[in-house]
Amino acid sequence: MSTTNPQSEAALHEAGSADGAPARRARARRRSKHRRRLANVAGLMTGLILTGALYSVFAPAQAADDTTESAAEAAGRELYERSCITCHGENLEGVPNRGPSLIGVGEAAVYFQVHTGRMPLARQEADAPDKPAVFSDEEIDQLMAYVQANGGGPTLPSGDLRDGDLAEGGELFRLNCASCHNFVGEGGALSSGKAAPSLNDSNDLEIYTAMLSGPENMPVFGDNQLTSEEKRSIINYVQTINSQADPGGAGIGRAGPVAEGLVIWVVGIGALLFGIFWMGSKA
Amino acid sequence: MARTATAPGAPTTKLGKAALEVDDRMLLSPWLRRTMNKVYPDHWSFLLGEIALYSFLILLLSGTYLTFFFDASMREVVYEGSYAPLRGVEMSAAYNSALNLSFDVRGGLFMRQLHHWAALLFVASIVVHLLRIFFTGAFRRPRETNWLIGVVMLVLALLMGVTGYTLPDDLLSGTGLRIISAILLSVPVIGTWAHFAVFNGDFVGTEIIGRFYILHVLLIPAILLALIALHLIILVKQKHTQFPGAGRTEHNVVGNRLFPTFAAKATGLIFVVFGVCAALGGIVQINPIWLWGPYNPAQVSAGSQPDWYIGFLDGSTRIFPPWDINLPGDYNIPALFWPTVVIAGLMFTVLALYPFIERKLTGDTAAHHLLQRPRDVPVRTSLGAMALTFYLWLMVAGGNDLIADKFDISLNAMTWVGRIGVIVLPPIAYVVTYRICLGLQQHDREVLEHGIETGVIRRLPSGEFIEVHQPLGPVDEHGHGQLAYGGAPVPKRMNHVGGARRAIRGFFTPIEEPSQVELEQRAEGRGLATGEPDRELTSSGRPADGGRPSEGGRPQEPRD
Amino acid sequence: MTTRDTRPGSTGGADVPGPLYGGPDDDYTPEQLAAMNRLELDRLGARYDGVEILHVDPGPEPGSVLEKRAIRQVGTVFGLAGLFAFLFVVVYVGSGWFLPDWQWTVTEGGWSAFFTPLLGLLMGLSLLCVGFGLVLFTKKLLPHETAVQDKHDGSHFDRVTAGATLVGGYHNSGLGRRKLITRSLALMGGGVGLMLIMPLGGLIKNPNRGNPLGTTSWAEGVRLLRNDGTPIRPGDQEPGSLETVFPAVPGGNLQADAATMLIRLRPEQVANLEPRAGQADFAYGEYVAYSKICTHAGCPVSLYEQETSKILCPCHQSQFDVTQGAKPVFGPATRALPQLPIEVDDEGYFVARSDYIEAVGPTYWNRERI
Repeated sequence: MSTTNPQSEAALHEAGSADGAPARRARARRRSKHRRRLANVAGLMTGLILTGALYSVFAPAQAADDTTESAAEAAGRELYERSCITCHGENLEGVPNRGPSLIGVGEAAVYFQVHTGRMPLARQEADAPDKPAVFSDEEIDQLMAYVQANGGGPTLPSGDLRDGDLAEGGELFRLNCASCHNFVGEGGALSSGKAAPSLNDSNDLEIYTAMLSGPENMPVFGDNQLTSEEKRSIINYVQTINSQADPGGAGIGRAGPVAEGLVIWVVGIGALLFGIFWMGSKA
Repeated sequence: MARTATAPGAPTTKLGKAALEVDDRMLLSPWLRRTMNKVYPDHWSFLLGEIALYSFLILLLSGTYLTFFFDASMREVVYEGSYAPLRGVEMSAAYNSALNLSFDVRGGLFMRQLHHWAALLFVASIVVHLLRIFFTGAFRRPRETNWLIGVVMLVLALLMGVTGYTLPDDLLSGTGLRIISAILLSVPVIGTWAHFAVFNGDFVGTEIIGRFYILHVLLIPAILLALIALHLIILVKQKHTQFPGAGRTEHNVVGNRLFPTFAAKATGLIFVVFGVCAALGGIVQINPIWLWGPYNPAQVSAGSQPDWYIGFLDGSTRIFPPWDINLPGDYNIPALFWPTVVIAGLMFTVLALYPFIERKLTGDTAAHHLLQRPRDVPVRTSLGAMALTFYLWLMVAGGNDLIADKFDISLNAMTWVGRIGVIVLPPIAYVVTYRICLGLQQHDREVLEHGIETGVIRRLPSGEFIEVHQPLGPVDEHGHGQLAYGGAPVPKRMNHVGGARRAIRGFFTPIEEPSQVELEQRAEGRGLATGEPDRELTSSGRPADGGRPSEGGRPQEPRD
Repeated sequence: MTTRDTRPGSTGGADVPGPLYGGPDDDYTPEQLAAMNRLELDRLGARYDGVEILHVDPGPEPGSVLEKRAIRQVGTVFGLAGLFAFLFVVVYVGSGWFLPDWQWTVTEGGWSAFFTPLLGLLMGLSLLCVGFGLVLFTKKLLPHETAVQDKHDGSHFDRVTAGATLVGGYHNSGLGRRKLITRSLALMGGGVGLMLIMPLGGLIKNPNRGNPLGTTSWAEGVRLLRNDGTPIRPGDQEPGSLETVFPAVPGGNLQADAATMLIRLRPEQVANLEPRAGQADFAYGEYVAYSKICTHAGCPVSLYEQETSKILCPCHQSQFDVTQGAKPVFGPATRALPQLPIEVDDEGYFVARSDYIEAVGPTYWNRERI
């Protein structure tokens, strides 16, 4: 706002050309400056209020939706801010050396991590072990809603998660999964203290969301790599094998030749040693 | 001199007449009588080799059954059998036939498992037998040849196992086959030629299963049978060794005659071994090939190990550091060569040559038919313990990923533990074993000198408490025993010298009062108590004098 | 002698046995032997074989309580053995007939899961009872004998006479002085020996011809296929994923050296990428392709840890860092995994730019030379 006002300069000029006491002239100048300032401010305020009122009347209604959440998301936000924010940040952006960003992980990842109890993490270690879930199913739904809404990402599948070909599932499992999780899903060691967990106690959705989200060191198997049908075949195979009895007798943990070697030495040689102690003489 | 039907000694029964006809043609009786009269010592540890022999017999029988169903071909087929999770999957004909045997042949799975358990038992019993021979010094002259034959048979048994478990062509054994291929390739100069000769080209080819099959069912069993026959003939010819003891010298054998006692016990052992294999074959699952899936060179399972007897090679391969040797001219000796070919070669060579090494080191060239107690040869025993620790540690390292997974230990740490342990633990084992042997030797001499601690406390008139010791023989003026150590176990408890009678009799319904036991025995007319009223001490009671209960010496196994 | 002579021995053969041979038959006439009882004969034979029976603990008194108990025990055990054996037969034959079917179905239990364990249990018990019974019989009902047998050292007589015959034969052959024969024998031995093992030469194949160890079916323009045969576009994988790919040739997914890992790196991995010298352009954007065959012993490497960028081999625990050109960082492997140079063809599918530039799989003697 310009401080020079042609009117005030003109007034000054007029006052100066008459019989002019300088003090009277200064007072007149000050009075008119104040009045002009007040007028300016008043005009400005009027303009602002008018603009705001007009805008709020005529602006489209969507602004109201962008700023409100669903009840689930709100509850999820509360849970998040209580349990997850320390490591995953205020806006899901992650905290260096503590927790990764959750932008783009989707509700699938949330389901897997929280339902298997891996999250909330008890302490930083080689990998997050599964433990009894801290949150109830309802709370997990809320967390899922919150993270999905604020970060986006893969969503949960629907329908029968075992609706796939058993034999094809076995082939896919042996090609993609057995190298870490073992040929029957017993789990296996990874480098430096990490482990690929056993699949014996996993439900269908946990296996599905694990494939979809690629938790921690597990590779990501997106739907463009393993289609939803292929994932269901794998789940069908894994769960069938898990619940299948062993036709050959005691499965001894399905651990392979190590367990078999232990059995032959402890049971086989052990029993036979007893036998020959009895049969032969001592010394 | 002509014989007539009424000649003395002519048979009168039908059986006798038949026997005469046979012997007239075959002239069997000299051999038969000589064989039946052969004396075999019956210490329990001498039965270990028999376990190996009988498990081989079981393998022959069950293996023949399996050959009726197995198809050793690598032709690709599609599975159409009754195991649903593999239906429609492409696989080799060998794997298909193994699945067929497991699921579509009545009792086929049982026979497959019986065969595999018997195979594991075969190698395990050879190892236990080898340990007995080693630690008692039975390989010394004149038995070096039998030792060599035994080591060769051990190697052949390992080869039988490897060729055998590779036949079904499943994912686990196929992974092992790939490693065998890499081991062949790693041999310097001739490695690639050896590989191409064995596999008929690059891995995997179309021949290897068929070649392993012929090795497994014809070539190696034939060699094994010949060696077993030779091993037993030499044993019979040289007569079995025995532990030092009453009446035993370097020039005799004390024990049971072959017929009927030894033969009956041996037959019993055949059935016991067979029974154990059969029980395991049905009750405990082994090698579930349907869960592993068919072999595919792009697939592998976490926690893959070979059968236990190859575990030591898997372990040495896992812990050996990444040391390639690059030679001028762009040649190289791959790191894999050392922990597989070289270590195995060295181990078996040292094992085979051990009798000669020991003879050189000890200067002992005499023939020995009496065994040594392990404590009496501390250097050999400690060397053996050292070698065993090395071997066992390698075997543990072979399962390091399973141990890491089950016990929540870092896999990398397990590798380092294996590397360090294999260097550090064997010398520790040597030292510890050596001290233990010396300690045991000392204790033997101490008991010979001071007698057996009876546990009876006596107070002397002077007020001193002493423990009463039972001398084992005549004592000199200082009260020290004069018996020399004879290589036999020294009795260390009163019931070893007949100083205590059985106070408890019976297993399921024990009679626990000594007086009650005595009454029972008297009533039956058998046992220590019977002859008691009319027994008098006629000899010193020393084991060397016979040691029979009626002579007041050490009781032999009571009948009840 | 005429052709009608029927005296014994005239046409050969004999109806009566000839004279009994020497040895103990000379010392003991049949009449003497007939006068001895069975025990004496047994001892006599034993002594002849150098065996002395030191002591016999006789079996239990016939008719005594002990004997009756022992007979009962042995009989029961043998009876049980037979019973179990018959039960085995019943289970084996009856399954599928009057017992439920033995054929395995993928169920959670049922008779088919018990068939094999029952067979094993029954056969095992039966055979164990046989063995147990036999040993029980030996221990409780047979007399306990302690026998001693003399060992014979080598016979000097046999050695000397055998040696004389051997040496004499050699001397008579004159081979020692008939040099031409010995030399031609040596030539013959060498030649015939070689000739007999020569057919084994059919097994020998030259591994260097055509360099099959050092080449695979990958070549310029060969598409990368999944196991089910479908080709792959760059959008078909998420960051942090691994797909096993095979060359688009007949039987490509069964070839032992062609399996390749197509890995899509995450942005953090791309930022820290240190490719091998001269192979920076083998990758295609965030996609890298490495051989799946471990350079240690040939197992498929497979275990991709996407956060630590390590590929772990389950066989011997070699670990390769995928951001450093798949060079080994732990374990017994010594060489990096070979990298396949890839690009995208004009239909948008991944193709190889050439074969691997080094041999795939385990090292061998002349790997660097061809």
